[in-house]
Formats: sequence, structure tokens, C-alpha cells
Amino acid sequence: MEATDFDAIVVGSGISGGWAAKELTERGLKVLVLDRGRNIRHAVDYYGEHAQSYQEPYYGLPNRERDSREYFIQQNSYAFGETTLQYWNNDRLNPYVRTPDKPFNWMRADVVGGRSLLWGRQVYRWSEQDFTANRDDGSAVDWPVRYADIAPWYSHVEKFIGVSGQAEGLPQLPDSEFLPPMDYYALEKTAIARMKKKVPEIPITMGRVAILTQDHNGRAACHYCGPCQRGCSTGSYFSSQSSTLPAAEATGNMTLLPNRVVERLEHDECGRRVTGVLTVDTETGERQRFSARLVFLCASTLASTQILLNSASEQHPQGLANGSGVVGKYLMDHLALSHTGFFVDDADRYYLGDRPNGLYIPRFRNVGEQDQDANFLRGYGYQCLPLRPDWETTFNQRGFGADYKAQLAKPMPIWIWALRAFVECLPRASNRLYLHANKTDRFGIPQLVTEFTWSDNERNAALDSGVQAGRILRAAGAVSIDVTDSTENLDVGGDAIHEMGTVRMGRDPATSALNGFNQAHEVDNLFVTDGSFMTSASCVNPSLTYMAFTARACDYAVKQLQTANSA
Amino acid sequence: MNRRELLQCAALLVSGTAVTPGSWALSQAQSKYLSARAPYIETATADFFTDAQRAAVAAAADITIPITGTPGALDAGVPRFIELMVSDWLTDEERANFMGGLEDLQARAGGDFSALPAPKQLALLEALEDEAADAPWYQFANTLRTWDPEAPFICAFKELTVLGFMLSREGSREFLRPNPMGTFDGDIPLLATDSAYSKHTLLRAIARESS
Repeated sequence: MEATDFDAIVVGSGISGGWAAKELTERGLKVLVLDRGRNIRHAVDYYGEHAQSYQEPYYGLPNRERDSREYFIQQNSYAFGETTLQYWNNDRLNPYVRTPDKPFNWMRADVVGGRSLLWGRQVYRWSEQDFTANRDDGSAVDWPVRYADIAPWYSHVEKFIGVSGQAEGLPQLPDSEFLPPMDYYALEKTAIARMKKKVPEIPITMGRVAILTQDHNGRAACHYCGPCQRGCSTGSYFSSQSSTLPAAEATGNMTLLPNRVVERLEHDECGRRVTGVLTVDTETGERQRFSARLVFLCASTLASTQILLNSASEQHPQGLANGSGVVGKYLMDHLALSHTGFFVDDADRYYLGDRPNGLYIPRFRNVGEQDQDANFLRGYGYQCLPLRPDWETTFNQRGFGADYKAQLAKPMPIWIWALRAFVECLPRASNRLYLHANKTDRFGIPQLVTEFTWSDNERNAALDSGVQAGRILRAAGAVSIDVTDSTENLDVGGDAIHEMGTVRMGRDPATSALNGFNQAHEVDNLFVTDGSFMTSASCVNPSLTYMAFTARACDYAVKQLQTANSA
Repeated sequence: MNRRELLQCAALLVSGTAVTPGSWALSQAQSKYLSARAPYIETATADFFTDAQRAAVAAAADITIPITGTPGALDAGVPRFIELMVSDWLTDEERANFMGGLEDLQARAGGDFSALPAPKQLALLEALEDEAADAPWYQFANTLRTWDPEAPFICAFKELTVLGFMLSREGSREFLRPNPMGTFDGDIPLLATDSAYSKHTLLRAIARESS
């Protein structure tokens, strides 16, 4: 075995990379973690945390001129703003090709910790049906993994990150290892009580979130300040910064290099092993090569795909580990859309603290069997969020003086309950990524081209989510209902920030890039564990699944190394 | 993004703002935090209005949100906020519209709005609202977007006044109230005397054009 700089190199430090760093270092490997973003320190660098409106430039109104010039993609995120600005990618400096009639929004972080700092923190296990769906309805290729294979790894991950939620025993949404669930709004109690009487077949539960409701693993329980995405100095929500990177650091086995973008991977003469990771220092432009016995790509779906495609060689003419030709294809996201009800109940009830979570209505369409009245495959779940409208909604009225001022003080005597559907997206080869023939970025790396459209399956499911939301909101007692009943102004791909699928796993090397342990079929020491490995999308938020598969892949990879050592 | 979509995604941002309890006092290393900063209107500088324009804006802001049992626009530095926003935040076209409207108001006041007695000031502002009554600005929830470049002067003025007041230190703490953090209880009484919580994120801040 030739000498290498490290035992393993992990590319990326977000949700997946942080887990790879933790699991590999805890098994005794010397690990180099590379991230293209700049380094920040947990807690002390969360500059926007707990800022008040009057402390922000323009009192928090968006800096339109700057944002449209520097952050024209990222500014679409609800989490983008002055208080989170340091985490986001600069779109002008880091271009990709967005095809106008097939638009895809690439939402990216650019700091150590990646989007684990910005994520929505919703965590749901996949069900057995999610893993068998491709096989059963003939989409794409079958998953090489079943729920029983990944269930222990879900538990392993959940016990570390801390997941609050309520056990429900639902087959379509297996329970996690739970900390106590968060408390309910009065309106939610009212809505749930009515739903149990009128639509008892539709389940609803407290949102399952990687936010602590009690102290856990040295991190403090949530203090309910609200906007988690600014960063949490008490580590109350899970991020690489609060949790996995400190665990990896504590082993003494981690070397972390920020400001290093990976340009491509080199391999040995026969093309079966990665021998070098070529990096560019984003500040100096200096190029440096690192070697290791194992390489884990955790750079995020689009970035890992870009690295593989840019690593094409004589032995791998279509890109590294891409003899199948699937790398870059089958890009998926979730299609998110909202349906709203207005309620006059509980207008005399209010709240204390800011709960960064909603209720969750798990998928209830096509569960087990295909529903007779469903003109689509798969399904969707709803994240349900209450809102108490106030002056911001009502100040556009005539009048001046004491009376006008007085009405600005009071919350409106209504509640809004928004059901935000997340629709499963089917894998299709036409939703794809590839390298532009001649456009490069500031490091000379070919730009990624994105092409993405929704299909009738997603559109039909989206429309059905409106019909069913109307039924739910009526049952819950809404006095006015406003559901989305058109597909004219849907979000575009990437907007849900759940992009996945372009380096998929499968049983057959002819139709997949990775085996069931996230290992490249064609490159023995290469593992890909960010969202790109996903063979289908389910309708639930994917991060928990990325974490579980990463931990499982690390366990497998280290056991393979040990076997090789003892042979 | 239309009003409906905005109202819908508004729920993503449910919340009020918060006060940092003593137990989370900022360390020296954290002093660059936004939360340790002096208010925006005290740190930014603008010298854009003439003295007469500045006086007119102050007078109109005072008429709009007067000092009552609680602080008013003048206590909260609203005129300064308006000058900063007109100078730094509005686009060239929006700024030209605003300044044109302000000069029109001055002209209607005989050259110096601030010199008129309060009832005449109010009458002039009400007349501007009468003339703008058909503007889309007055439709329900139609202020849940980043900005309306077509808003008539009186509407743009009122919007800046309200934002400058409700988001100010005084407005958010002494007119509205901070939502104390520490625990969450979703079911407490709202008394008739209770004001709404101040907020850490504006719904309009997410009202970007998507795609």
C-alpha cells in the first residue's frame, strides 16, 4: 500500500461531510476535511443571532441593489437576509449555467458547516414503501437498500443529533428516537380536535425536528428565539458546527482545511482507485494535491456531480465512476406549494416564545395501495404553520393620527394556518447536469449546466394537494380557504433546497453509479454520501436519510480497510 | 410573488422578536454581533433633504403617528429613517417620485408644510389620500412585498413612516412588545390591552421575485 497524506479525505463539511468526519475519525482514521467555504467558529461567529430589527441596516429590509447583483439566486430563500448573509454563496463569483426554460435554483452555503447551518431542521424517516416504490411502480431503478438495512443507522444518527417529536406508529412515517415533542398553539389544538372527528383517516403530528427540547449531548435545550438559521450559540439545533465537527475534532484525528475547492479527482493506472484530490485555494488560487486511502464526496449533490464529471479520464471518459452514464442525470427536488385557511377561533389566545417548527401531516395518498382517485404516483406531506397577522398586513389603510396608530398595535383577530405541501418528484433522465463546453469559473473549473422541469406527475400531485388541503381546512374549521388550484406559478427546481439523485445508487453497475453502501461501482475507495446518491426522493425532508447513509457507508468503508489490512 | 403566496409563505416566518436575557450576555468576542450594535439610524449618515424638506417630513410623520400614551414617530427617529431610506434604499426612479411628491406637498402648503397649523397639515395629507384612493396600495395585505414602485407619494410616505416606527427601538419595545424567549407556550391569553409582538423578520423580506 503506497503512503498517503491521510487515511481519508472528506470533501464538504455540511450535513453529510460532518457525519463522515465524525464517523471516520471516531474509528481511528486520520481525516482531512476540505470545504470551499471560509471557516467560522461555532457560536462566536453567528453575528446575526438575536439581532433586533432596529440594529439591522435598513431595519432588515432587503438590500435590493446588492442582493440582485451578488445573491440573485440565494435571495430567493426565506432564510436569506442580513442576519444570515455570511453563510450564503455569492452568485456572481460562483456562476453556473441556468437554462432559462428549464430553470434550476442552486441554493448554496459557502462556509464550513455548509447548509447544516441554514437547513429547515425537519427530520423524517423513510418508510419501507419509499424504498420499494421504484421497484413497484417501475420508475428508474430499484433501491439496493431496504428500511431494515437503514433503520439501525437512523437510530444511531438520531441519538446523537437529538430529534424532538411524537411517536405515532404510522407505517408511512416510522418513528424516530424521540426527545419530547414541542408544545402546540391553541389554534392547532382546535384544528386537530376537529380533524380527529371529521377526517380521522388523515394523520397529523408535531413536526419532528433536530432541535432539542431538553439538554442533550452537551448541547442546551432550545430557548425559542425563532430564526434558527442565524446560527445558534447554544447548539440547540443540529449542525455540523454544533455537533459533528466538534466530535471529530475531539478525536484529534481531523485536519480541517477551509477555502479549498476541489477541482477533480485523480486515479491510478487501472482507474479503480482515487489517488489524488486536486484542490484550489479560493483565496490565493494555489493548487494542491492531497492523497488518502478513502475519499468521501459530501460536497452537495450538484458540486459532487461537478467534481466527478470534471474528473473524466481515458479510463473514465464520461466522468469518474460514470461508465453507466447516469452521473448528472435524474436530478430531483421536492415541489413545495402552500394552501391557506383563515380561522376566527382562538383569537383571544396568544403565545410565549417562538417555536421554530410546525405540525406535520404525513403522506396519506397512495399509502400501501394506489388510490383509485389519484392520477399520480407517490404522494406528499404537509408542513403546517400558524401565523397571527398584525400591522404588517394591515397598515395600508387610510387615516392619520391616534386612531390610525392605535389599530397598528393589535394582532388581527384571526389566525392563518398554512399547509405547505412537499410533493415527491420522480427521477427522470431529462432533469440533468452537465459541464459546459467552454464556460469556466474563476478557478478554471468548467461551469455546471442545469436543466430541470416538473412533470405531469408532480403537477397532478400538486393539484391534488390543493384539493385535499381544502378538505382538511374545512374539517379544521377554516372560515375562508385559499388553496393553490393552478400550476401556473409553481416554484422551480431547487427552491425546496432538497436537490438530489445525480449519482444514484443501485444494484446494477450498468444503470447506477454507486452500490448500496454508497461506494462507486467502478472506483473501490470512492464513496458519495450527499444527496446525489438518492435513487428516488420520497416526499419527506431528506437530510436525516443523508446522515444515516453516511454513517452506514463510513462503517462499511472502515471495515473494508480493516479487511484489506489483515489480508 | 403575489399577495396570496406571500401570506402563505408568511407562515414560514412566524415569530416575534426577542430580548437577550442576562444569562446570555454577550462576550467580548461577540461584540461584532448585530445585536450589540447601536440602532441603524444612529450609525448611518445621510444629508439628503434640505432643512425645509426635513421639517416637512418630520411634521407629516408626527401627524401620522403622534406621541400618545406611547412614543410616536418623532421619539423613534422616523424622520431620520425616512431620509436614510430615500437617500440610500430607494431606486433612482422611486427617489425621484418621492421627492416630486414631497415638493408637491410643500407647494400645496404654500412653500413650507411645517409652518402650517396641525389641522391644515392633516387636511393636506387627507387630500393626498383622497386623490390616491384608487391606488392598489390600499388593497388588503398589499404591503407584503418588498416595495411598490408605483405607490403614490402619500402611500410611500406612510409606508416608510410605519416601518420606521414599528421596527425602531422605541416602536418595537414601547409600542409593540418583545416576545420573551426562554420557553414556548402556544396557548396563553391575549388581553385587550396587549399589543402584538415585535418581529425579527419582515414578511416582505421574503417577497422576492422567484424564478
